[in-house]
Amino acid sequence: MSGIRKLTYYPGCSSQGSARHLDESLRAVLPRLGVELDDIDDWNCCGASVGHIGGCQTPNLALTARNLARARQKGTQDVVTGCAACYLNTHGGAEKIKADAHKRASMNSALREAGLSYEGDLKVRHVCEVLVNDVGVDRIAAQVTRPLEGLKVAGYVGCQTVRPFAATEGGGRFDATDEPRFLDDFARACGADPLPFSNKTSCCGASVAVMSPERCLPLIRTILEEARQAGADVISTPCPLCQTNVEMYQQEINRRFGTDFRIPVVFYSQLMAVAFGLDGVKGAALQRNMIPAHKLAAMAGRQTGRQ
Amino acid sequence: MDASVATAGRYDLGFARWVYANIQGGDKLPLCMQCGACSGSCPIGVQMDHGPRKLFMMIRAGMKDEVLRSNTPWNCTSCYRCVVRCPRGVPVTYILQDLAAKSAALGLEPPDVPNARFARSFWWSASTFGRTDERLITARYYFTFGLKEGYRRAKANLSIAIGMIRAGRMHLGLPHRVRDRAGLKKILAKAKELEWADQARAKVSEWEARSKP
Repeated sequence: MSGIRKLTYYPGCSSQGSARHLDESLRAVLPRLGVELDDIDDWNCCGASVGHIGGCQTPNLALTARNLARARQKGTQDVVTGCAACYLNTHGGAEKIKADAHKRASMNSALREAGLSYEGDLKVRHVCEVLVNDVGVDRIAAQVTRPLEGLKVAGYVGCQTVRPFAATEGGGRFDATDEPRFLDDFARACGADPLPFSNKTSCCGASVAVMSPERCLPLIRTILEEARQAGADVISTPCPLCQTNVEMYQQEINRRFGTDFRIPVVFYSQLMAVAFGLDGVKGAALQRNMIPAHKLAAMAGRQTGRQ
Repeated sequence: MDASVATAGRYDLGFARWVYANIQGGDKLPLCMQCGACSGSCPIGVQMDHGPRKLFMMIRAGMKDEVLRSNTPWNCTSCYRCVVRCPRGVPVTYILQDLAAKSAALGLEPPDVPNARFARSFWWSASTFGRTDERLITARYYFTFGLKEGYRRAKANLSIAIGMIRAGRMHLGLPHRVRDRAGLKKILAKAKELEWADQARAKVSEWEARSKP
C-alpha cells in the first residue's frame, strides 16, 4: 500500500472506558503506517455478545444498521474497528444486511424513523486485517526506531478477532482461525521475541467472565500458566475484553488458586507505539495497564509512574 | 439426566421444524451428523447440562421445554470455535445465541445462570444512552440480585474497580451518550415492532401459550 489511506473508524464503547489504551495507541500508531482514521459521527454501541438477548435480534441488528448508515455519510471507504466484538457484530451485520433483502428492508424502515438509510454497500474490517492485507508487516518493521530487543511476548489472539471471519472471503482471508500468526509477526516486526503459545486462541470467557467469574477463572488461569512457563515478559492481545479479563482477574486467581501471577497484558498497538519511538504515555498509553509493563516502559525510556 | 427431562414426558414433533425455520442458522441444523466437534471444542462445555451436540439431538427429538430451559445456550462464551470447526458448516454459536434470545423472550431462562439479567442491564445502557457504560451495567447487574448480594458483589470487586479508576479506564462522569438519542430510540422502537411482526410469522405466541404450565 502506498500513500495515505483514509478509513472510517468505529471506536466502540470500550474506547471510552476499559480499552482506552487500545484506542489511544491505535490513533498514535496508524498514521505512521499510512492509515488515517475518520470517526463515524455519533456512533452507538454494537450490541456486543448479549444485545440480542436483552433487546431481541431485530433491534440488536438496528444498532449496527445505524452505525453503518452514519458511516456511509462519510463516503464509501471501508469501515475499520480495533475491537473484536465491534468487528464481529458490525462486519457480520453488514454482511447480513447486504445479503438479505428482507433484513435490508426492515433495517431501512427502522432507520427511516431517524431520517437515515443504508443500502448495504460498505465493507467492515478489523484493524489487524488492514495491517496484514493493506499495510504489510514490512511497513510496520520499517517504522521501528526502538526495537523491543529481548522482550518475550506471548501472543494471545483470543476469539472474535479471528473467529469466525479471519479465513473467509469477506474477512479478507487474513489468517487462520486456530493458529493465526499475525500477532507474532507484529511482535517480530517490532523487534520483540514472540514465544510459542498454544493457548493463542483459547477463550478467556468474554462477558461470561464478567457476569460469573467463577465459571471462567480456570480458563484465564490456563492462559496465564502457559505464558509464565514460556517465560513471557508480557502477554500481547488485540481484544479489549481479553486484555481486561486476563489482567484484572489475576489477583482473584491468585487468591483462589494460591498462585502468584502478575503478568502485564498489553495491546499489540502499545508494543508498536513503543517500537516506533512514540511517547510511553501519550503514544503507548502504558499508564493504563493495571499491571504495569515495567520492561516495556523502560524501553520507552520512562517509568509509567504507577506501581 | 436431570429430573425435568425425565419427568417432562412431552415431545413436540413440530419443534425441530420450528427451529429449522425460525432460529438464526437453524436451516443448517439438519446437516448435523452428531460428531461432537462442537461440544469437544467448547471452552466451558463441561459446565453445560447438555452441550451443543446433545442439545441438537434433543431438538430433533422434539424436547422443546428441555431445550428452551437448558443452560447450554447460556454458557456459550461466543468463542466461535464450534462454528469454524463444524465439518458440516452448522453455525453452532449463532443457533445457541438465538435459542437463548427466544428462551429469554419466553421467560424460560434457567435460574442457575444469570446471563439474562446481565443482558437486560446491558441493553438498558445501550438503548438508553446508545453506549455501553461498563460501570453502570456492572452495578445494575449486581443489584438485580437484591441489595445485600449487590453490595457483596460490589465489595468483592472493589479492588478491580479502584485499579480501573487509577488507570483511567473507568469513566467517572455522566454516562457517554449519543447525541441523537431521540432518533436512536425511534429506530429501536420500530425495530422492536418489526421483531414482533417476525415473531408473529414464526408463530411463537402459539407455543408460548402452550409452554405455560
